[in-house]
Formats: sequence, structure tokens, C-alpha cells
Amino acid sequence: MVRLVGALGQGYVQQGLGAADLFATLFFSTLRLRAADPRWPDRDRFLLSTAHNSALFHAALARRGLIDPARLDSYVQDGSTLEVNVSQRLGPLVEATLGSLGQGPSVGLGMALALRRRGSPARVYVVLGDGELQEGQVWEAAMYAGAHGIASLCVVIDLNFMQVEGHTDQVLRHEPLLDKWRAFGWQALAVDGHDIPALQRALAQADATRDRPTVIAATTLVGKGVGFLEGQLGHNMKLSPEDTRRALAVLDAAEVAA
Amino acid sequence: MTAPARSLAATATATATAPAAAAGLTVSDFTTRGAVPRVYGEALLEAALADERIVCLCADLTGATETDLFRDRLPARFHNAGIAEANMVGMAGGMAGCGEIPFLHTFCVFATRRPFDQVAMQVAYPRANVKLVGFLPGLTTLLGVSHQAIEDVALMRALPNMTIVEPSGPAQVRAAVQAAAAHDGPVYLRLRRADAPLPAGQPLQPLQIGRAQALRDGDDAVVFASGALVQPALDAAARLAPLGREVAVVNVHTIKPLDVETVVAMARRCRVVLTAENHSIIGGLGSAVAEALMEAGVAARFDRVGVRDTFAEGGSTPYLFRKYGLDAEAIAARLQALWEAPR
Repeated sequence: MVRLVGALGQGYVQQGLGAADLFATLFFSTLRLRAADPRWPDRDRFLLSTAHNSALFHAALARRGLIDPARLDSYVQDGSTLEVNVSQRLGPLVEATLGSLGQGPSVGLGMALALRRRGSPARVYVVLGDGELQEGQVWEAAMYAGAHGIASLCVVIDLNFMQVEGHTDQVLRHEPLLDKWRAFGWQALAVDGHDIPALQRALAQADATRDRPTVIAATTLVGKGVGFLEGQLGHNMKLSPEDTRRALAVLDAAEVAA
Repeated sequence: MTAPARSLAATATATATAPAAAAGLTVSDFTTRGAVPRVYGEALLEAALADERIVCLCADLTGATETDLFRDRLPARFHNAGIAEANMVGMAGGMAGCGEIPFLHTFCVFATRRPFDQVAMQVAYPRANVKLVGFLPGLTTLLGVSHQAIEDVALMRALPNMTIVEPSGPAQVRAAVQAAAAHDGPVYLRLRRADAPLPAGQPLQPLQIGRAQALRDGDDAVVFASGALVQPALDAAARLAPLGREVAVVNVHTIKPLDVETVVAMARRCRVVLTAENHSIIGGLGSAVAEALMEAGVAARFDRVGVRDTFAEGGSTPYLFRKYGLDAEAIAARLQALWEAPR
């Protein structure tokens, strides 16, 4: 992910590092997908409502064997299907073109209803940004899913407190967040977005819940894992070649240590 | 007094003579029709019984959109989204992504103008097999400016991958529904509810997407009409015939993709071209025809009947059609003006 953004000199590096543990949990522990059959009808659906977190998404697909890692070299090059906002040009693994914020939960809800009618066991996961909570459509979908108890829908909020203009509280406060979702009829769970066993437990609890949709508010730290980037609010961060080199050195060392 | 207030007051004065009758009018656009045949509702149910992929979404207008027939017969395939059109469009996109064929129902304004971005991203861009079904086109409602769709065709025309179908009347609705269901991709169906039973013996009309229908022949002018303006166009042509003017009338039920071949051929032959639509003159059928003729290099005397770049008001349909120049008289007058214009 850092290599993709570093090659551009700017991009969504902070969000990518912040949500990396979340994506690792989803793509390597939760989502039932078949690399050899991306259109498998009973696959779990993954919707990236924050479609700009694309470097991380593409890197996760490559690491999971869902796209050829060689394709990563074309990320955000003219003509490439690996766009800065993930689009369906990439192929069947992109379930919907989001990025116009607030639309992911509605699309996920429609998928959950269609899958339910077919008797499919597939679940639908929507990664939602916390800034996105300001879009009214999110609450339209929340109201419907809660009222109808659409249990196969799970929204995971990447709670990084960052939006274009800075800290979410400085733009529009979203607290009390869990109370809001509970009032809409959802099971609402708060977890540390970097505690992978805790994320797994929350996702398993969502899976086991049969009468309500679940929202998991996963608190994440932007720039996580690279000391000099951690906590720096930058929606579209500049990343110099030197910073890229330093960041990769930190991450490589951490990987070796692990 | 501010300028806008003055102009509103002036409008009120100018129209004060008009609808004393409005006091006796009732708003029936929300109601479930009982005695009147639910031509659309029956056609949708017929299509859904033949194709189990069809599902029905509605936004608190089940009776008004005649989808109560579907709801009562196929409840597991019916979803009332509530008054939340953006969410309804997103849901339809998700359902289409899982192989269903959602027919989505509300008034025209709320199917297009309100959730435009959602339609663009979740229906048009992915070529989702979603049918947006809108009622209350143009000036066909008492409900006023909030419910009058005069730019919906312009909005939908601007979206790549979108097909726009507006049947000329109740007799063409069934064919429109069948054509929309058979078309693999996004369709905007612009419909008017029937307010009376079909006359006995009137045959149902066919509809093939993209193929305009010549309803009357003539060489002195051609009127390309859509939806509620098709009958006034025919009436105007009948009125002009005794005066020695033979006017061709073409039902352009598919506004996108436009039947360019027919439009160009008829315009070349007649050289006097009028469009007539229950919509703004900007961006709809009139614009589409003008674009096609210019690109084909056809020189013709040309005018557009439609809402002339203004918002309207609540009122009975005959009153509004008269006031805003959408009736047979207005069509005939504009044709006369085209014939009389200096060359």
C-alpha cells in the first residue's frame, strides 16, 4: 500500500495504514471468497463505501490472490483499471462503484435482501468512513435495515476521526455514535480497530446475530505502524520519496520481527 | 417590496380569473384506484409472474403507483422503502447486482431529480437492470411545483446507458412495461395513470424501444410528440386538415435512444418540424430532435411546444396545458406561425 501511494508522491496513505488491520481481518479471516471464481454466487459481498481507500483495497486483493500483483504497478496510471476511487472497471470483485459518499449501506442492504430471497448464506460487509456518517442516506439505510432486522448486513465503521477538513469533531461531531445506531435498531459494537482478535470476535458476534444488523465501530489510528505518520491528520497526504523509504523500512522491519 | 415578491404577485393577479373550478378539484394523485383499470399495475404483475427475477420497490406511494396489485400477490418480492428515495435507488442497485430486476416506483420528480447521483452511480454507470418508474410527468398534477417533473427527461437523457420510454397513453402502457422488462439495462418509464377506462374496442398499442411510430401522415409539417402531447398533436392535425394543411404526427415514445433515422427522414420530407412534450423545452424531446437534425445537416423551420423555461403551479391538467401552451390550440398556432414565418 505504501509502495503504491509512494510512487504517486501523494494519496490516501494515512487511511490505508489506519485501516490495514481491519482489511487484514476481513480479507484473511472473515470474507468467504473464491479466488478462482470471483463471481461465485454465494460469496460474501464486500463494499468499500470509502472507495478512495483504494491503495489498501488493491493491495489487499493482490495479497489475497484475487488480482495479479503485477497489476498493482499500474495503480492510478492513465488507462489503468486500478483507479484512485475504486470502480467496477477493475472487475467482478468490485460489487458497486461507490466513492460518492454515503451510498454503500443502501447497496449492501439491497444485496442482503436479494441474497436472502434466494436463500443464500452470503453476508454483506460495508466498510464505511466516519465522515460519511454525515450523509443522510446512511441513516435512510440504517432505518430500513433496523426496522426489517436485516441480520446479514454488517457495517464496519473505520473510525479514524479524519475527513477532508481535519478532525471529524471540528466539522460535525458524530457522538453518541453507538447510541444512534442502537436507536435505529442495530446491534452496535465498539472495538479497537488494531486488535485483530477483538475484530474477529465482533465479526463473529455479528455473524451469530439473527435478528438485527450489526455495526462495528472500529477505532483506528491514521498512519498506524509508522511512527512519524501516526496520528497525523492528512486526507490526501504528501509522501516524499524519503518518507516513503523511511516508512517502508519501518514496515519491513516490523514484518521481519513478526 | 422585493422584486421576486412583485413578480409572484403579478402572476397571481394574471391568473386570478382562472380556476374557480380548482376549489372543487381534489388531489387524487395519492389514492388507490379501484374502479379505474390499473393498467400499469396489471402489466407489471403480468411481467413479474412471467419472470421471477422482477421485484418491486416503492416509496410510500403504493396505491398511487398501482403497485398494490404486486404487493398483494407477490409480497415476498415487494419492498416499501418508505419516503427515502436515495436509499431505494441504492437498494435497487444492490438487488440488480445480485441478479434481480427491480422496478422502482414513485413520482417522476422523486425518481430522477431527488436521487440523481444515486441513479447515476448505482443504476446508469453499472448498466444495472433497474427500471425507474415515475408517475406525474410534467404538468399533470394539482400538487404544484414540488411534484411537477419538467426536467426529468433532461436529467435522464444526460446519463449514459439510460433508456427513456414514455408511452402515449394507457393503451401503450402494457407494451412499454413488457419492453422495459425485456431490455437488459436501465430504463426510465415516464407514466401517467389512466383516469378513465380504455374505450371499449380500443386496441392496445405496441411499442418497440427505439422505433418511433408514425400515427398520421402528411407533407406540410411533422410533429414529433411524446406522452401526454401525442393526443393534442393528433387533435391539432385534425383541426388543420380542413384548412388544407396535412400534418404528420409521430409518437416518439422512446426519447432515448432517439429514432434518428425516422426523425431525419420525416424532417427532410416535411421541412417544417415541431416537437411537443409535457416537459421543459430544454433538454427533452425538443432538444433531442434539434440535435439530431443539426448533426444530420437538415435545414427545417423548427419550433418546440413544451414548458418554456419556467416553473409552473398547481392546477387541473386542462388548465395548466392551456396556460402553458401544451394543448392542441397551442400546437396548431405554432405550426401556423412556422408556415407564415418569412423565409
